[in-house]
Amino acid sequence: MSRIDGSLALQDVVKRFGNTEVVHGVSFDVADGEFVVFVGPSGCGKSTLLRMICGLESVTEGEVRIGGERVNDLPAARRGLALVFQSYALYPHMSVYQNMAFGLENLGMPKTEIQARVGEAARMLRLEEYLQRKPTALSGGQRQRVAIGRAIVREPRIFLFDEPLSNLDAELRVGMRAELVDLHRRLGTTMIYVTHDQVEAMTMADKIVVLRAGRVEQVGLPLELYNNPCNRFVAGFIGSPRMNFLEGRVVDGVIELPGLGVVRTRARLPAGGTPISIGIRPEHIHAGHQADNNLTGAVAGVEQLGGLSYVRLAGPDITIQIPGQTRLAAGAATPIHFPAGAIHVFDADGLTLPRQTP
Amino acid sequence: MIGTIASQAAGRLYAAVMNLPERPMRWAQGHLPDGRLGWLFVGPNLAIFAVFTFLPIIVDFYYAGTGGTNLLPTERPWVGLENFASLLACKDYFEPNSCVRDQFWYAIWNTVKFVALQVALMLAFSLVTALVLNRKIIGRGFFRAAFFYPVLLSPVVVALIWKWVLQRDGVLNAAFVGAGLQPVEWLLSARSAFGWTVFVSIWAHMGFYTLILLAGLQAIPADIYEAAAMDAAPPLRVFRRITLPLLMPSVLVVLVLGLIRAVQIFDEVYVLTGGGPGSATTYLVEFIYNTGFSAQVRQYGLAAAASLLLAGVLLVLTLIQLRGMRAKGSSRG
Repeated sequence: MSRIDGSLALQDVVKRFGNTEVVHGVSFDVADGEFVVFVGPSGCGKSTLLRMICGLESVTEGEVRIGGERVNDLPAARRGLALVFQSYALYPHMSVYQNMAFGLENLGMPKTEIQARVGEAARMLRLEEYLQRKPTALSGGQRQRVAIGRAIVREPRIFLFDEPLSNLDAELRVGMRAELVDLHRRLGTTMIYVTHDQVEAMTMADKIVVLRAGRVEQVGLPLELYNNPCNRFVAGFIGSPRMNFLEGRVVDGVIELPGLGVVRTRARLPAGGTPISIGIRPEHIHAGHQADNNLTGAVAGVEQLGGLSYVRLAGPDITIQIPGQTRLAAGAATPIHFPAGAIHVFDADGLTLPRQTP
Repeated sequence: MIGTIASQAAGRLYAAVMNLPERPMRWAQGHLPDGRLGWLFVGPNLAIFAVFTFLPIIVDFYYAGTGGTNLLPTERPWVGLENFASLLACKDYFEPNSCVRDQFWYAIWNTVKFVALQVALMLAFSLVTALVLNRKIIGRGFFRAAFFYPVLLSPVVVALIWKWVLQRDGVLNAAFVGAGLQPVEWLLSARSAFGWTVFVSIWAHMGFYTLILLAGLQAIPADIYEAAAMDAAPPLRVFRRITLPLLMPSVLVVLVLGLIRAVQIFDEVYVLTGGGPGSATTYLVEFIYNTGFSAQVRQYGLAAAASLLLAGVLLVLTLIQLRGMRAKGSSRG
């Protein structure tokens, strides 16, 4: 049997509810077998985008292609996709087995085939003991697995996940994250995963689509987004704790941070006097002064995690990540150094300024 | 100046009234044993219940065991189960003419027919109405109100409205004549009168049951329907496999409440047809009323016995409903 093409392409997709446009011309491609994560703050349109892909929401303008075929007018059931809902949306009156079998029965599949597929999925998801139970008799993690099982048995071209882990507790979430990545490796099917949690995006994705207010901000590999964010929003959204930002202006080829000093960067800077901002990740700031790019701040608070520590400075408002444990205490003045290569520079519109070619 | 004096006086008066129970309550708290104070509060209500509910029940039991036509209990001879025996004495229960109390059995069979037809049709109509009103249709708010409106009317008003429509020179016949047709004696033929009693009682009560079913429909989460759409379930199958099972607790409530109310049917029909023509629309409660209070010979004992039999049926239905409600509560929990 030849594998079904599970590639996806969105072209200038627009969604309007009445007069309100919530998705403004989104375009990107997903290759067959890729694990793509849509990430963005709540209200950025990522769930709407997902619902348009699976057919629960109509596409106002633009084109959605699955396996090269335009599916705008194809009903959800005939797109060959499976969706795992945030709320799981299990049928409460059906047993686990019936929940998984329902979609196959609708396709008119023979009983023996249904039994084989449900049995296989149940084995894969360790649900065999629970097949006769109702969803109410299951824990949150088990219900989540039933919802995934219901998707698996249909052998879809693309799996769609709508914030599937947000109803689980923190420990279970880490476990399910690994299970989903493992599932993707075994099935090799295209997966599209929506989340507002950038840690989930970074840890699971082959490719991340960062969305804000109905627009794609950046598409790329997780580390690409981390290392080379294309604008201030992506820079702030990816990475935890978030990037530190400081406002300044260009003076004589360096950046003056009013009241703090000057820093040199590798960015190609605009003409003198232009207001710009710089960003630097907490883990890239060094404690102690070096030859240049030195600042001094007063410690406002310290979070000791054992293996590493976060030091919050006041004036400038900066968080520093220090490996290991620290003896810094609130009130102490501490010298810090910004390595020139770790500084991101953004123009007044928040776009990243390119680096100088060496 | 006068204003402040007046308001002060009003304040004093208010305080005095509100403090009136102070002394008796202190006395009661001091003298009643712990945990008994509650009786003082439910007492008045309990007394009303005792006089108008519990006492009549006891009296009903007593009257069911006595005969004669005298209203005074002391003047009534004790006959034991004779009233029940005469009600139940029958050669063939399906043939009321072979029974000692043929009117009772006519009433029973009328009621059985009425209940079966009325409840089945009302359930079907209110389910369809609820399904339609649950969709995004134009004027949904108006239709929801319109279907519920008859529930707010008194049964007698309902009957008078329909009498005005259905009587010989009523609205419906006026329309018939206007359209060049012969007027029809809607309430004077046995079958048509029976049909209209079913229709009118459905019209009057349907809104209430529609509301219950509508609430049940809206309690079904939308994402379950989306999951069904992803599962490629055709509409009829969604209704049969998803909507209906999830609506079942509400359907059960409607079924049992509808049954209880249908068995109790009296006022609308009494005003609309008076039980006629003949005894074609005489239902059980009307038989009891006629036997005890409106016939020339007032057989209180027989009416009391019949009402106890009816109470037995209603008790069974109520127990089924309670059990259904409990099952609903536990499955949601």
